[in-house]
Amino acid sequence: MEKLKSFWKRNWVGYFFLTPWLFGLFALSAIPMGASLYLSFTNYDMFTSPVWAGFENYSSMMQDSKWQSAIKVTISYVFLGVPLQLIFALSVALLLNRGIRGIKFYRAIYYVPSLFGGSVAIALLWRQLFGREGVVNVILSHFGIEGMNWIATPDTALYTLIILKVWQFGAPMVIFLAGLKQVPVELYEASKIDGAGKWKQFLKITLPLITPVVFFNLVMQIIAAFQAFTPAYIVSGGSGGPLDSTLFYTLYLYQKGFGHFQMGYASAMAWFLLIMISILTALVFVTSKKWVYYQE
Amino acid sequence: MHKVMKAFLLTFISTVLIFGLAACGSSNNNSQSENAVNEPSNNQAANEPAAQDEKKEPVEIRFTWWGDTKRNEVYNAIADRFEEEYPHITVKREFGGWGDYWDRLTTQIAGGNAPDVVSMHQFYVSDYARRDALVDLETVVSSGELNLVDYPEAAINSGRINDTLYMVPKGVTMPGWAYNTALFDELGVAYPDMNWTWDDFVAKVTEIKEKSGSKNIWGAPDGGGGQPQPNFRYFLRQSGQDLYTEDGKLGFTKETLVEWWTMWDGLRQKGAIPDATTGTEYENAPLEQNMFVKGLTAITQIPANQIYLYQQQFKSGEIRMVRMPRKEGGENGEYIEGAYLSITKKSEHPKEAAMFINFFINSEKSLELFKVEQGSPASTKMSEFVKPLLDPAQQRAVAFIQETLPYSSPAVYAPLGAAEIEQAFKDNSTSIAFGKLTIEQAADGFMKTAESVLK
Repeated sequence: MEKLKSFWKRNWVGYFFLTPWLFGLFALSAIPMGASLYLSFTNYDMFTSPVWAGFENYSSMMQDSKWQSAIKVTISYVFLGVPLQLIFALSVALLLNRGIRGIKFYRAIYYVPSLFGGSVAIALLWRQLFGREGVVNVILSHFGIEGMNWIATPDTALYTLIILKVWQFGAPMVIFLAGLKQVPVELYEASKIDGAGKWKQFLKITLPLITPVVFFNLVMQIIAAFQAFTPAYIVSGGSGGPLDSTLFYTLYLYQKGFGHFQMGYASAMAWFLLIMISILTALVFVTSKKWVYYQE
Repeated sequence: MHKVMKAFLLTFISTVLIFGLAACGSSNNNSQSENAVNEPSNNQAANEPAAQDEKKEPVEIRFTWWGDTKRNEVYNAIADRFEEEYPHITVKREFGGWGDYWDRLTTQIAGGNAPDVVSMHQFYVSDYARRDALVDLETVVSSGELNLVDYPEAAINSGRINDTLYMVPKGVTMPGWAYNTALFDELGVAYPDMNWTWDDFVAKVTEIKEKSGSKNIWGAPDGGGGQPQPNFRYFLRQSGQDLYTEDGKLGFTKETLVEWWTMWDGLRQKGAIPDATTGTEYENAPLEQNMFVKGLTAITQIPANQIYLYQQQFKSGEIRMVRMPRKEGGENGEYIEGAYLSITKKSEHPKEAAMFINFFINSEKSLELFKVEQGSPASTKMSEFVKPLLDPAQQRAVAFIQETLPYSSPAVYAPLGAAEIEQAFKDNSTSIAFGKLTIEQAADGFMKTAESVLK
């Protein structure tokens, strides 16, 4: 008790200054999250009071074939989109890191897609780009290939969204750039004298030294990718179609909650998503001990 | 104690980190949702001072509808006139496209900040009525705010569910298949007959495709899937069935469903209707850019009140409408459709809301603008009043509605869970269109879902 008292005595000012933020945490995050946890164990249609249902929502989720396809779509999106995006971001960062003039300008330009990549306007633009008479098909026609509507074809629709994800490479790129700047120049000079080529330098010096940044970007982008909603919603017109090929997990969650009045089920889905992201993030953290190299 | 404190702090910090990450992760997606959320909350903020300031009793009500730019102009003008007439009442307006409209309304009603006066539709009213979200309008009729004297019994009854009056019609309309005479003349195809059958329909659609000789002109859009109303529902009613039964069960057999999908698949195999990809591409296209307006399909299925909107899109030819195809020897499929107005249960000003509805559906000042925007006015007096104001396309709509209305018979309202059933209908028919499922498989899949939803 004494210790607690002295703890408060020493720290109350700090907590006092934190109050606005604490208020936000509880009012906007913690309490709603608690409510959604409770609702996930109920049948709740948003109009009448929730009825306790135990684990019914969770168990019916496993048998829901649409839920299964939503999982599949989301996993492919994350596992294809994130690595591709990071590789692309790193490549651009490496290019920009070669001491070219006006780097600030290029950095800003390449960052722009990240700023509005998740917006409705870009998703609409994407519809146009990959439509039957879109720019992509116009370019393809110059090579004698007759394109199709990439967004309305079930086999290709998801890939257009993955390309959209890759195109938003700006944020990880900036972080990569910062990481690249940290790599000591002496190491490159020393290795050059020892006869290492560019590729070897990249593999043996650059890559190991920026692993903390890779790690950071990986975690951030995995979480962001799981939560992606806008592109699928706009590109498919809210349906997740054609044939559920763009039915992102969050999109199905939205349909269940607000289209089918099954807020309990939607809450259960949200918690499953949280658990899934946590497990995956934890896995990345655990494996990071093996591949992330911290200087000092 | 120290240990506990430490544990607490650790939990606390890790929670913070998770939230921090989550916040970063979602920041990309915020731009859209913010817009959507801002609008109602602004309105509510504006709402409060009005409610508190009792001196002049200024009242603010909110009114929402679905529609395109044109309709927004008309309804805004009607709300303006209402404000002139009742200076102490302000009408806040919210509007959006058909799809977004229902998503938002659900959210608002659930959140307890729904507009006072909401536009309603037969497809969705039972979702709200059965969940007790709407006011029984009989109360405002008996208190004198809402006057339904000029309304035929059938029109009023179309707004009743289980004997409670949940909505009143702004206008009643009937669906049909529309075509442009210019395109038919150009192709040398005879106009469809007012009382055609589904066999005639198939023949006509095929003929158009053959005569056009173009890769990019089809007879009709794919009507086998999408929303089961009105096409499939007419087909069911003509077969003596319906989407649902009175007691909330599925109202049709697998055989009828197979028969329906087989008909459309036949047209698809012949190339007389667009392939699945093209259909998906235009699925959510606005009126100005849909397949019919772009000249990709020669006929299209629309409600009669939209004839004039389509007419405005075409330089040549006349948009005319024929009945939904009949089933040889079958019953009439017709039932009254329309756009309705309801008052939400949580409304703080049901009296003013009723006054607004009354102004909207009964006053010449309003009907002068409304004309037949969402159907022919249900009030006999008002439908006489608007007649001389109509342009030829609107007159054709009214004539069509008056001709087909007598065929109509009451229709059952959807049970809870209808949204999921409609989704399954759409999903399975899309699977057929993309060749992923056979008709038999899709029908089985649909029946299975329907059974589990409607237990």
